[in-house]
Amino acid sequence: MSDNASDDRQSSSAVISRDMQENIGYIRRLLGDPSDLLTRIVTIGGGKRSCALVFLSGLSDKAVIDDQIIRQILKAGRYGEEAPELDVSEVIGGLRNETMSVSQVIEATLWSDIVQAVLYGDTVMFLEGADDALIVGTQNWKERSIEEPPTEALVRGPREGFTEKVETNVGLIRRGIRDINLRFVSYTIGRRSRKTLILTYIQGIIHPSIVEEAQRRLESIDIDDAPESGFVEQWIEDSFLSPFPQLLHTERPDKVRAALLQGKAAIMLEGTPFALILPTTFVALIQSPEDYYERWLIGSLIRLLRYVAVFIALFFPAIYIALVSFHQGMIPFKLAFSIAAAREGVPFPAVIEALLMEGTLELLREAGVRLPKPIGQTIGIVGGLVIGEAAVQAGVVSPIMVIVVAVTAISSFAIPSYSAGIAFRMLRFATMLAAAILGLFGIILMFIVISIHLVRLKSFGMPYSSPFAPIFLNDWRDLVVRFPVTFLTKRPEFMQTKNINRANKRGKRI
Amino acid sequence: MKSFEYGDREIGTTEVAYGVSNMVIGFGVLTLPRSLAEMTESSDGWISLVLGGSVALAFGWVIASLCMRFPKMGLKDMTKAVTNRATANVVVVLFACYTFLFVGYETRGLANISKQYLFDRTPEEAICLFFLLVLAYGVAGPSSALLRLNLIFLPLVLLIVLGVLAMNIPFFNIHNLKPLFVTDWKNLLNGARGTVFSFLGFEIFLFYNALINRPKTMKKAVLGGLAVPLLTYLIVFVFVIGIFGSEVTKNTLYPTAELAKQVEIPGGFFERFESIFFTLWVVTLFNTAAMAFDVTIIALKTVFPKPERMTWIIALCPLIYLVAMQPQGIMEIDRFGKWISYAGIAIGWILPALLLGAAKLRGVEGNERAS
Repeated sequence: MSDNASDDRQSSSAVISRDMQENIGYIRRLLGDPSDLLTRIVTIGGGKRSCALVFLSGLSDKAVIDDQIIRQILKAGRYGEEAPELDVSEVIGGLRNETMSVSQVIEATLWSDIVQAVLYGDTVMFLEGADDALIVGTQNWKERSIEEPPTEALVRGPREGFTEKVETNVGLIRRGIRDINLRFVSYTIGRRSRKTLILTYIQGIIHPSIVEEAQRRLESIDIDDAPESGFVEQWIEDSFLSPFPQLLHTERPDKVRAALLQGKAAIMLEGTPFALILPTTFVALIQSPEDYYERWLIGSLIRLLRYVAVFIALFFPAIYIALVSFHQGMIPFKLAFSIAAAREGVPFPAVIEALLMEGTLELLREAGVRLPKPIGQTIGIVGGLVIGEAAVQAGVVSPIMVIVVAVTAISSFAIPSYSAGIAFRMLRFATMLAAAILGLFGIILMFIVISIHLVRLKSFGMPYSSPFAPIFLNDWRDLVVRFPVTFLTKRPEFMQTKNINRANKRGKRI
Repeated sequence: MKSFEYGDREIGTTEVAYGVSNMVIGFGVLTLPRSLAEMTESSDGWISLVLGGSVALAFGWVIASLCMRFPKMGLKDMTKAVTNRATANVVVVLFACYTFLFVGYETRGLANISKQYLFDRTPEEAICLFFLLVLAYGVAGPSSALLRLNLIFLPLVLLIVLGVLAMNIPFFNIHNLKPLFVTDWKNLLNGARGTVFSFLGFEIFLFYNALINRPKTMKKAVLGGLAVPLLTYLIVFVFVIGIFGSEVTKNTLYPTAELAKQVEIPGGFFERFESIFFTLWVVTLFNTAAMAFDVTIIALKTVFPKPERMTWIIALCPLIYLVAMQPQGIMEIDRFGKWISYAGIAIGWILPALLLGAAKLRGVEGNERAS
């Protein structure tokens, strides 16, 4: 840490020299004479003066450097012979204002700015005898094209997703909200990586305290590199002990735009397509943009289905264990017989059986994710069908257990937020153990514990369980049942937005 | 525009109303129809219930007035303002003892009915232990979170009660309710005395008063919160009598639970609905116990400010466990409950009424009186 800090200090105060060659030597020494640092010396004004272009080959746009800088300088140089003797500042001004046809050119004298610019992919032009250098914007990072986000596919909805380039992502947001109040605050994250992080929100909608709190937390980040927004998330989240994600990550610009209009903020980090939405509530984990794109009946029913999925993912195996080991009387007569018959040869108690199957399933899921796509599907078939079938035939588990585990697994994948799905899966094991010890009573105790945790948890000061507790009945219009769009005239009350109305009442025009 | 009030630890009107309802609804619903049917004849218990409810509403008004007179003050500061520091300390410690015993009673009662309706072999000791652990986790956080928990739990409980009643409609026999108005007024009053106990619990808001951000609405919140259990009790009582008749109700330990027992889920999806009913009932018992525990700690902390909240929890949990394990058998649990109820009425209702009277006579008011 200390050597880095001293480097910083040295270079932040150092100013470039008038000697071009000395400048080139300095920057070469500073970067350790790398092979991708290219230097091109061009003469200006018929050989009267020379200038040097310094850039990193992999990060800069060669076409721009060739066509817009070097060719323009050479062209100007041809006619420059008749030009009168100019002093250095006039040459610099001429270069900037007349010669180079590049949109971004700034003057700089500090080494820190210059080195940083080179590392970002800009081209620095040192002019012999000048006090200033010119930084020309030639960044060109090979970028993935805008594709449909693979982790959050929708049937209906825009097919665009964020990319790794933060400028593109900012553009994607801007393209959807052409509001003068849309704000982008940028930060540099990473003492060594120096990545751009952008906090975006709509001023006039968001409650100022959320912005203040987010800024305070972002400013506290001190780390050498943040390779993914997950690092930022883990650094600024409220509780690291909670299984629930307190910032929602998404690849979908439409999701971020909708969140901004609800009075939330978003964080985008250079180098990752995952943006973070804050603050997040429990309910947001279960919602999907498609709930709004489809007509309200469909949207409501699908959302209701997801709440059921959450319940199944959390409690279904536990309830099975509780019923089989404690409350056999609750199972209907005929079903009880078939369960008993199926469990006849199974040597384990229901918990062990369930843990065995659930464990296997988690393994299969993990293996399926790691393997290449075609093989992943094979693993799914081999795991799901072959192991399930074989386990039943071998008498290790009962067929009903396989059904329970399969339904639970499907339910946990129906939850739109991937990290929330993982949270529910973790908690499922806890509820299974509770059910094994205390039956239904254990399950309800687990339910109480989870509820207490959710009520206590906060995301950027926002209670995680709102609008359930604290209760905001107006927001229930967009909770379990999604009311028709013409009824959703207000922004969420629990966000305490500065601007409340988002539409005219019932869509009537004034 | 409202201030950004999430960050702080305050509670609003809704939380108070829900908290009062949830605190009051507890064991009462399970046993109330029996004790009423014992005292009154036919379906006349509803008159006693209304009388008892009116008494509770009157004391609810007293407590709300006291809270409004001394906004942002707990019971200790109120008493200190009216009398002196020593009296205040005694009152608060008495109150803490009452809520502490109440937690023990609630824990034991819960273990008792769980054993009866959920498991037959798991020992009560184990049930109490696990319940206490969850209780300790619950009170370890801020009080406001505990009060917000009511917002999730109360609807669940009311839904299950309504569900049980709705599914019992086919068994309802209107002739069981007749004849009307046959009980003489003495028995009615006797019955009313028994029902009053079922409304105990809301007095803990004398302590939560320090957290309430809109004291002006306190009356509305407390009385509204009390109306919900009163209505629930009335409907449940009428249903129990209408379905079982007065005689059967008298001889049933938990008549409301028997209602749940009758329910048959359409389609035969599962049987023994009362297990589900009880499982969900644990939720309201938990919250009642948790709030009482929380108030015990708040009360003790005002008198002995030195020890941390966690220290109190760790110290009190084993004691609660011991208290809960003391009564042997259902009769003793009932007697235990009765004594606690008397203590509650004395400390939680009559004492604040005296306090309010004294405050009015002396003209003592809180700093920022809410009118």
